[in-house]
Amino acid sequence: MKTQFAMRLILTRTGILFFLTSTSLLLTYKNSNAFCGFYVAKADATLFNKTSQVILVRDGDKTTITMSSDFEGSVKDFAMVVPVPVVLKRDEIRTVASSLFKTLDDYSAPRLSEYYDDNPCAPKIVEDTYFYSLNATSQGAMEERVAIAKDDYHVTIEAQYTVDEYDVLLLSAKESSGLERWLTDNGYKIPAGAREVLTPYINSNMKFFVVKVNTEELRKKGTDFLSPLQISFHSPKFMLPIRLGMANAKGSQDMIVYAFTQKGRIETTNYRTLQVPTGNSIPEFVQNYFGKFYVDVYRKHRREAGENNVYVEYAWNISGNVSQFCDPCNGPPPMLQDLMTVGVVWVQNYHTGYQGDVFFTRLHVTYDRKNFPQDLIFEETPNRENFQALYSIRHPAYGDFQCEEGKTYVKDVMKRRSTELNELAMLTGWDVSGYHDYATKFAQFIPNAEPHYRVPVNNPPKKIEAPEQNPLLNKDTSHVKQESFTTPFYSDGDNNSSSGKLKILTLSVLLMLVVLMIVGRMGKQKQQAVK
Amino acid sequence: MVQAISIQKPKVIPDVVQSFFNWFNSDPRHYQIIFLSIFLFYGIAGLNWEVNTPNLLLTFFTCFITQSIFTAFTTNDYRSLKSAAISALSLCLMLKTNSPLVIVIASVLTISSKFVLRFEKKHFFNPTNFGIIATILLTRNAWISPGQWGSNGLLVFSIGLLGLFVLLRVRRLDTAIAFLVTYCALSFIRSVIVLGWQPDFFFHQFTSGTLLLFSFFMITDPVSTPSHPQARIAWATLVGLLAFFLANYEFVNGAPLWALFFLSPLTILLDKIFIHSKFSWI
Repeated sequence: MKTQFAMRLILTRTGILFFLTSTSLLLTYKNSNAFCGFYVAKADATLFNKTSQVILVRDGDKTTITMSSDFEGSVKDFAMVVPVPVVLKRDEIRTVASSLFKTLDDYSAPRLSEYYDDNPCAPKIVEDTYFYSLNATSQGAMEERVAIAKDDYHVTIEAQYTVDEYDVLLLSAKESSGLERWLTDNGYKIPAGAREVLTPYINSNMKFFVVKVNTEELRKKGTDFLSPLQISFHSPKFMLPIRLGMANAKGSQDMIVYAFTQKGRIETTNYRTLQVPTGNSIPEFVQNYFGKFYVDVYRKHRREAGENNVYVEYAWNISGNVSQFCDPCNGPPPMLQDLMTVGVVWVQNYHTGYQGDVFFTRLHVTYDRKNFPQDLIFEETPNRENFQALYSIRHPAYGDFQCEEGKTYVKDVMKRRSTELNELAMLTGWDVSGYHDYATKFAQFIPNAEPHYRVPVNNPPKKIEAPEQNPLLNKDTSHVKQESFTTPFYSDGDNNSSSGKLKILTLSVLLMLVVLMIVGRMGKQKQQAVK
Repeated sequence: MVQAISIQKPKVIPDVVQSFFNWFNSDPRHYQIIFLSIFLFYGIAGLNWEVNTPNLLLTFFTCFITQSIFTAFTTNDYRSLKSAAISALSLCLMLKTNSPLVIVIASVLTISSKFVLRFEKKHFFNPTNFGIIATILLTRNAWISPGQWGSNGLLVFSIGLLGLFVLLRVRRLDTAIAFLVTYCALSFIRSVIVLGWQPDFFFHQFTSGTLLLFSFFMITDPVSTPSHPQARIAWATLVGLLAFFLANYEFVNGAPLWALFFLSPLTILLDKIFIHSKFSWI
């Protein structure tokens, strides 16, 4: 069925009138809980969802969104539903190479830098720096089914395309139960609770971008891998719909957003946007657990700073005329070709690079129904300050320290290591008491056990629930085994949390107010008495 | 005999302290300064705002200098430096920028608007509101972060309570309520009743610290709002309507600030039509 232009025009106008407009989006990877859409499977197989990755490009009122399609399971079971503000034209939907996500992830992931000390007694000028990086990762959640009855659906197919290996439908609906039935009757499993969010999207005049795999096309392509889908559209509202994606989620889901803009960083206007901790010196041996380290840094920070925040992991000015595209570099910065592919169409070829202002922001959001009642609404700010999640380790020199400087050096290293252990405990909540030797003995230290959380002494066991739901725990990090990291760290509990501080602050403010009012009243009475 | 006993009644509060509180109580701006300082402290200590201390000091310095210069050429009443402190605090709380030059521009615009944009001895823009919007329009290198407060119920409670207290002292509670009722009622009708979102969708936006700070510390500015009570309520309702429209149909971030900016000049007209005595801080 072809798109009807008149119809589309009217819909577009109404869409603007009713707010909705802007949203979009879609998909993610694997399975059931896609970030802005939900994944639906045609079979009963339980699929698992990795962390969603989305590339977001904003140019004036044009938004281009590329959704990773890292789908595990039989590709013919892949299906996805995403709310979009307008009926997309055929040339606004395309597929791109999946290597893009790897490039951006490698470039912007939290990083570890490594330095070597010189021996003060036998000075030689060698300083090597190596970097380790941590990439985005995965998690899973279960999907539920809903039973439905057949009826008149009130669902209109506005457009229908085949885009490479995908069959794409653009639906509009009059009411959520009709849409729900249509999807179910056409073989899509939809999550329980979807109606709660389908209704507002339908009332906002959103369209639904429904995708499934065309196995014939996929066979012609000769591959089992699905390509990332990219859509673009014009809309004044700059946002990502995440609510549909959490319709069936019991736990939280992770999403990494790679954003490209002209002016500067993007931030969310309806949630706080915070930076993750950075710049800390940590013990040498963390090099072997860097993946696990960062996961716990993120988790602890999120728990303390607030679970309803969005976190910046990387922000860098990558305009064509800058001299440093990263410092240090985790991976090569995106090239002109990459930029053009993701939708940064305002840059131009120039010598060996490109010309034009581009700012890159990497955001990490862990969302669930309770903490994120609204979709993510973004604002492009003029903030061009660079930021990266960077941690460093320093290897001491070994050898003969008989000279005067050498003795001081040994003391300094031991002192430094003690500080590093404190930093480590503070950042991750790990129990560092087993690493006593690291700070007290000047020797190479190899921990005989993997780092572990301090187990709370006075906290009731019922609080230990998060790890099963926390997607980050399943992070597939390079040097880390997964099994041993299941006990959560809660010993510093609520006392350090922002809500704890908030309570204290509020109470003190109220107390002050009451005192002032009482004193003021007494003063007034006294004045009156004098009169 | 009886008289002598009552004269010797022991004092609960020493005279010095009592006279300090009398002085403190004499001007509602003292409360505003304290409350805004608490919010700033909370933002930095409790919400981990990335605040650049030199920029903070620069804001205060520029505001005080500008205010002093204008005061020297006009009223010569240096108690108005309290207003400069309130403006500086509000700028620190609401306007974001990385550039010291932009801070100077914003501070100068804010303070000078009080002395330049006047009509019949009354300035008709809220100084901070004018400073923020004019700086964003002119420099394109500053922004507002409506999300910076998060949405915490306790914060809402404390801002609301503190604001309420200041308002009662200056008798402008009607303005805040008229604005909040209009804006929130329309938002509720639209998001929950018309579109069908769950109530927490609505509460999420209602609990934004920026909205409440605006309601209790900006739109209620007794100097720049219409003097006549009924006119003021009608005007605040209009600000609420425009803010709702801008936020929901034009997708403007920080819509209340823009709405107030556009409707402030209306104060002149309303004051012409509805005659009422002008507000004075003391």
